[in-house]
Amino acid sequence: MKKVWQVREVSTLMILVLEVAFFTWYLWPSDGGHPFLNVGNALLILKYSSIYGIAAIGAAIVIITGGIDLSSGAVIGLTSVVTGYFFVQAEWSLTASAVMGLMVGLSAGLASSWLIVGMRLPPFIATLGVMGIWRGAGYIITEARFYDLSAKLPRNWTVAGVSIDWVPPLVMVTLAAIFQVLMKRFQWGRAIFAVGGNETAALFSGLRVGLVKTTAYVTAGLLAAISGVVLAVVQGQGKADLANGYELDIIASAVVGGTSLTGGRGSVAGAVLGALIFGVLRNALPQIPGATFYDRVIVGLAVIVIVVMDQVMVKRAS
Amino acid sequence: MTTAGLEFRDVAKAFGAVQALRGVSFTIAAGDAHACVGENGAGKSTLLKILAGIIRPDRGALSWAGERVHFSSPREALGHGIGMVYQEMLAFPNLSVTANIFAGREITGPWGRLDERAMRARTQELLTQLHVPVTPDTSMERVSTACAQLVQVARALAFDCRVLVLDEPTTSLTDAEVDHLFGVVGRLRQQGVTVLFVSHRLPEVYRLCDRITVLRDGQFVGTFERATTPSDDIVRAMVGREPPKRVPRVSSPVSTFAPAELRRTSPSSPALQVRGLSSRPAFEDVSFQVAPGEIVGMFGLVGSGRTEILETLFGLAVPDAGQVAVDGQAIHVRSARDAARAGLALVPENRQRQGLFFNLSLRHNLVLPLAAKQGVGVIRDAGEEAVARAQVESLAIKTPHLRVTPDALSGGNQQKIVAGKWLATTPKVLLLDEPTKGVDVGAKFEIHNLIRRQADAGMACLMVSSDLPEVLALADRILVMREGRLRGELPGAGATEEAVMRLATQEAGGTA
Repeated sequence: MKKVWQVREVSTLMILVLEVAFFTWYLWPSDGGHPFLNVGNALLILKYSSIYGIAAIGAAIVIITGGIDLSSGAVIGLTSVVTGYFFVQAEWSLTASAVMGLMVGLSAGLASSWLIVGMRLPPFIATLGVMGIWRGAGYIITEARFYDLSAKLPRNWTVAGVSIDWVPPLVMVTLAAIFQVLMKRFQWGRAIFAVGGNETAALFSGLRVGLVKTTAYVTAGLLAAISGVVLAVVQGQGKADLANGYELDIIASAVVGGTSLTGGRGSVAGAVLGALIFGVLRNALPQIPGATFYDRVIVGLAVIVIVVMDQVMVKRAS
Repeated sequence: MTTAGLEFRDVAKAFGAVQALRGVSFTIAAGDAHACVGENGAGKSTLLKILAGIIRPDRGALSWAGERVHFSSPREALGHGIGMVYQEMLAFPNLSVTANIFAGREITGPWGRLDERAMRARTQELLTQLHVPVTPDTSMERVSTACAQLVQVARALAFDCRVLVLDEPTTSLTDAEVDHLFGVVGRLRQQGVTVLFVSHRLPEVYRLCDRITVLRDGQFVGTFERATTPSDDIVRAMVGREPPKRVPRVSSPVSTFAPAELRRTSPSSPALQVRGLSSRPAFEDVSFQVAPGEIVGMFGLVGSGRTEILETLFGLAVPDAGQVAVDGQAIHVRSARDAARAGLALVPENRQRQGLFFNLSLRHNLVLPLAAKQGVGVIRDAGEEAVARAQVESLAIKTPHLRVTPDALSGGNQQKIVAGKWLATTPKVLLLDEPTKGVDVGAKFEIHNLIRRQADAGMACLMVSSDLPEVLALADRILVMREGRLRGELPGAGATEEAVMRLATQEAGGTA
């Protein structure tokens, strides 16, 4: 039986705990309230991490099939635009507007999987193309303007008695739990792992490889679109250039969470924990005097260090 | 020169808990042609990897020409004149033959400029010397398997090779190609090259080598002189017991083996009926049938269309024409899933590439086709465990538990996993493609028994094999393919190797 700390999600969680402990110690104030360790700040981290985290669930699923999805940032951006258009311009209800936003993710997933399964393009190229088109569509719709959702959103908004600020993290945790179960306890998840582990054997075993891949890309598209709706609400904007470059942070979250880019290995819970690790870094680094301009460098180093540490531990275990 | 050759002294290597080599010592005289044989898991490949500098031994030493050597990388081993020809092609399909031969050690001018002309000339020289019918500029992906093997030999020779190591080089070659390769190796020996030949095939070992070293369970058993040792002694040394006897099924299976009720419910319908099946250019107008409880062997040389027939029957390729019926019901399969639902199962030729998931546990490997066939949604641990355990027990798969991944098992047990995952779907027709390729003598015997047991229980078995003794020992009827067409049918009992071979090779259109 595996030791507890050899379970990949547990070691990712340990990194997160150590990280929080470090910043708590490093930013300990000489007087007054703690700038890092307080409920308000925790909520801030959770809120912004959930934008990455929700999409990282989808990224992990696609990467486990042995593919890659570069379109998630573009889907988030265009979703904010489409949701904003229907909510502000067409004056639809927020729910109906959000559903239209989800169509952005659905269409991106269907387009990517058609190119990959039907046209046999490599996933990198297919999703790179989709990324360009979906990002560009946002500019065409907005013509460099943006939709101001914040003006129409209620102040001190609560959903079922909970402040709206808590909704994105709750959505992320719920989705992570659902997909963790789907990946581990359902035939669908098993098929995702099988296709990523050995696509030929999957075909010979009677799995519907094309369908499995299609569901993976569509799921990733829909999850990125949910991130897009969350961003539109959190930011109060629908804007074409939102979430620029997020796709790489999202992929990095999945990889730091133990998902192997060669396919067949990984977890969605790990991807969410990975997103939180980056969320904490992005929040805490600017609070360190003098570190402001170093944060991208430190985030980059963190990716490398964490993945190298993981490989060392895997080698030790076998 | 003829005295001190290559010496292994007390070489040991463990991978985790598995002791692959337990202190092996033996010497290969310089200029000798030496064979190393043993079952899968005997430690041959570990020994070769140490010799090639890919892994380092935990203990022990190598010496070459009386001098102690330490290879910490393949590059160093090559530098000492150890040339490897691997079983699995290590080629760059996207590069030319010349680039393949010089990969990593290109001839260069000042500042690393490639000296294409010198490399091309040297390649041409080597190709002529080895009689390889390709040009230096041919792209490697257009080179046949046999020629690719010879290109590997050329690569070894390009750098003053003094020991040529051949790891199972004949697995995918035809007889004529084997003759050619052995001719080349023979000539190299005359030039003083020491040869180490690793193989499962004893006839070839006897043809090529003077001395034979046997390994078993990571230990050195002995070095035997070819001239004075009969091959049965070598087999006994390899397996540590008497060689398994082949038990041909003597009587017609339909009358004796198939359960009576099976024939009563479908009195005239064979389990599998194929009529006029074509998929040009692989095969054309193939018709045959397999009765419940019957083992039909399909024999043919590489390229005769055997594998393609199985893959077409299994829905992995779409035929141009023809009908297929299972239990008298016409079926039209478009995918492996359709085929599984129609009651077919395929144990594919390449278990590593087409059969196993190395990222999944044995349990998950064993239940995948069943789950795909049934289309279950939720995974039930207890149910899966029962299905997997039943296969492990009935097939006697040797494994500590079901949570390990397939790479922890030997080749023979891996093959049983691939068979087991399909038997779990309780098929009516079992298609087997080279079921004992690359497994050791003991496992081969067990797999043969496994196939017999399935047939005795009423399953129709169609087995493609290029192992002629295997086909003769197992099959009730033998179908012979040549150049995409069915050329004849022989009864299993009483067929001879010569008779089958004549059908398989006769009137061949000139090309080997």
